[in-house]
Amino acid sequence: MKKHLVSFTVNNDQYDLLVEPRKTLLAVLRDSIGLTGTKEGCSTGDCGACTVTVDGKSVTSCLMLAASANGKAIKTIEGLSSGSSLHPLQHAFIDKGGYQCGFCTPGFIMASKAFLEENPNATEAEVRHALGGNICRCTGYTKIIEAVMSAAELMRSARQAR
Amino acid sequence: MPEYSVVGRRLPRVDALEKVTGAAKYGADVHPPGMLYGKIVRSEYPHAKILHIDTTEAELLPGVRAIITQADVESGRKVFASDKVLYSGEPIAAVAATDSDIADEAAGLIKIEYERLPVVQNVMEAIQPTAPRLHSDETKDGPSRRGIRNRLKQLSLDESEGSSEEIRTLETELETLEEDVYYNISAETHTEIGDVEKGFAESDIVVENTYTIPRVHQTYMEPHVSVASADSSGKVTVWASTQGPFAIRSGIAGTLGIPLGKINVIPTIMGGGFGGRFGVTMTHVPAVLLSQKTGRPVRVQVTRKEEFLDGRPAPGCVIKMKTGATKSGGILACQALAFWDSGAVSGASIGSTIRVRGVYKIPNLKVDAYGVYTNKSGTTAYRAPGAPQAIFAAESQLDEIARRIGMDPVEFRLKNMREEGDMIPGGSQEPVIGYKETLKAVADAAGWWNRDKSHNQGWGVAVGDWTNGCGPGGVYVSIHEDGSARIFHGSMDITGTDTAITQIVAEILTLPYERVTITRGDTDSAPYATGSGGSVVTFTMGNTAKLAAEDTRRRILELAAERLNTEIDNFELRDGKIFVNGADSPKSISLGELAAFSLNTRGGPIVGKGSFAQQSSTPALAAQIAKVEVDAETGRIKVLKLVSSQDVGFAINPMAVEGQIEGGTVQGYAWAIMEEMQYDQNGNVNPGLVDYRVPTSADLPTVESVIVEVPAPNGPFGAKGVGEPPITPTLATMSNAVVDAVGVRVNDLPIKPEKIVAALHNNGN
Repeated sequence: MKKHLVSFTVNNDQYDLLVEPRKTLLAVLRDSIGLTGTKEGCSTGDCGACTVTVDGKSVTSCLMLAASANGKAIKTIEGLSSGSSLHPLQHAFIDKGGYQCGFCTPGFIMASKAFLEENPNATEAEVRHALGGNICRCTGYTKIIEAVMSAAELMRSARQAR
Repeated sequence: MPEYSVVGRRLPRVDALEKVTGAAKYGADVHPPGMLYGKIVRSEYPHAKILHIDTTEAELLPGVRAIITQADVESGRKVFASDKVLYSGEPIAAVAATDSDIADEAAGLIKIEYERLPVVQNVMEAIQPTAPRLHSDETKDGPSRRGIRNRLKQLSLDESEGSSEEIRTLETELETLEEDVYYNISAETHTEIGDVEKGFAESDIVVENTYTIPRVHQTYMEPHVSVASADSSGKVTVWASTQGPFAIRSGIAGTLGIPLGKINVIPTIMGGGFGGRFGVTMTHVPAVLLSQKTGRPVRVQVTRKEEFLDGRPAPGCVIKMKTGATKSGGILACQALAFWDSGAVSGASIGSTIRVRGVYKIPNLKVDAYGVYTNKSGTTAYRAPGAPQAIFAAESQLDEIARRIGMDPVEFRLKNMREEGDMIPGGSQEPVIGYKETLKAVADAAGWWNRDKSHNQGWGVAVGDWTNGCGPGGVYVSIHEDGSARIFHGSMDITGTDTAITQIVAEILTLPYERVTITRGDTDSAPYATGSGGSVVTFTMGNTAKLAAEDTRRRILELAAERLNTEIDNFELRDGKIFVNGADSPKSISLGELAAFSLNTRGGPIVGKGSFAQQSSTPALAAQIAKVEVDAETGRIKVLKLVSSQDVGFAINPMAVEGQIEGGTVQGYAWAIMEEMQYDQNGNVNPGLVDYRVPTSADLPTVESVIVEVPAPNGPFGAKGVGEPPITPTLATMSNAVVDAVGVRVNDLPIKPEKIVAALHNNGN
């Protein structure tokens, strides 16, 4: 199958890749670039495990063709922490026990990040609704929601401190 | 309770960083150089003869490296269907190609000709003589004929006079009951204690109903995947996302006739299992065969759809149940006849039917259970296998009895609950248990005793029990020259067991939690470890790690005696140091110094070993209360409150324990309200997460967990297995709450809105 040149940034690094038009962004992130933190749970956009941000918006990368990401800025779970300093969401997921098997965690964290950046004062009900596209089978969500609410607070105080 | 410094604390998990940064490597993240992509070709029909398999066109597709069928399986053990398929989704062939899309395309080019056969999907139809047979024409006696046959067997041993007349009567009766036989039976089990007929006759009230519990999928978030690499010496390496690496090793060895020592299973981090990711299933054997044929590493990763078609979900079942009690609330008899849907292979959790006895004193109990073949994939364990189904029937009946005799459902349960020393029907004596404490704890926490409700709101309560298993395990602990400790073992961590093991070792060695690290080996390097299921790990590996830490401590004390030239009895291990008691000038030596010293001693480095296999645990109860509101017009159930208490023995890490309680409760909620694998004459009709709905955060309120601690005498620090109990009562909790809200009981799960509306309509509302 004929390949096309696709250019985008992933976690601020520039990539210029030849990809088949049928390849999804998820497949390219995982197989071509080797960033396996983004997970494949259903490949039909129903579980949210593959969530990344594209130009700051939350996207299920199994439903986006890599070619349509041309010229865009992609962020994955690997780009969230800088060096040894974790993002508040990562801290909160650890402190509140917001994960068990951890397979859904990258997707939850990326979806929460995109949502909280647009809605820093979200209520618990709004967070529960916003994360309705991400499935976790282990936690029953209680501790995930606690983690996201706690991270929102951390992010608010960090913003005020700036 | 003694003061502990590391166990009992809400510490972050040992794998926290890798799990929140995306660094954790799961099965599909393994990508050895030169890896090929495998794809399985599956049956399109639930029951058919295979007439012809044509792989010619697929072989010509550029990038295809191998196509295998049953003909390629030299051991002769069944891996692929070759002459007949018994469910749609059954594997028939597998392809390996240089790209996943090419593998998919090639799979689609393989042409299979079928001759369709009649299909049976419903257990109650499958037992009928008119049903198509999956395996043979053999029949099994139903409970009535079994009873007569058993009596006849007794009489034939009894040589006293007068029995000949009874024998004649019974033989005539047996003939009239010729229809009491079942077809398509995969297995059966029977238990009888006391005399249920007498019990029912003495009862003031007898409740009788049929309960239908659907087949549900574990829906672990990571679909099955394995990567296999066979080298030219015949050595096979398998990266597997599994609950039991050692079971995968023996499974591959057994299926393909490869010597155990030629197989190394490297367990990857696992995206959930809940019982569905235990032995060799779906991907392991095809990956090895494809790698053997191509001489290259091959990854076989299934899709979510394939999970629904060919996974091994929890069996559905139909339970006919009858319970008798007195007006004053004493349970006298309980009888259950269960038909478990095994799918196309034997293996449903039929032995769990006995769990209808619950945690109550029941003098008369009769249980007959059958596994029934249908044209579906086989089944396996799902969190407390078989218990949620049986307990749903039993706890629904008790709720009904409490309502009819006008007794508070919590009081009614407390009145009948077993205590220490009581006989378990069909079992031994109860050890130290916390049934009543756990039920009272949830009632107090939920505000049961002064509960209020508005129109169409209701409260439901139920309890369920599970006793953790125990299996073999080995653990090593070494002390390094910097005074830190390293644990080495081979058991899988899903939900925090490595953290619990680390806390236990740190506690025994009096080290800070951060100074103890843990490494998991593969099956070539690690000592044997039981699979992670049956709530065994914290109990088994916790005990094993404790033994290893104690062995390490022994060696530390021995070294200190050698180093300080005094008697062992004079020492105390505290804060990671050895202190000499009663010395005039206080003397101490650190573990680091001792570890360095050990390198030049006759006895050598500090290595402690723990090895352990069998120890009995004690039952753990989960008790739950739900408050719901039902929209009588649409039938929608809204959960207003869901409280779950559990006797965990001792919570080594309360945060992880709460996570288990919350997660298990939500899985039980989903089984009650929304989940169901649906089948028709073409097979599974909802193989995806849109049509098979699992709960999201938007469906639920916060689940409140309540930890109760009645220590298990043999558990590490008193801990019991915590994974399984919380799913056991929730099916009944939800159903009982709906009854309290709108007065209708839906015994055919899941309690979908349309069933509530139909039931309300039938009630004349």
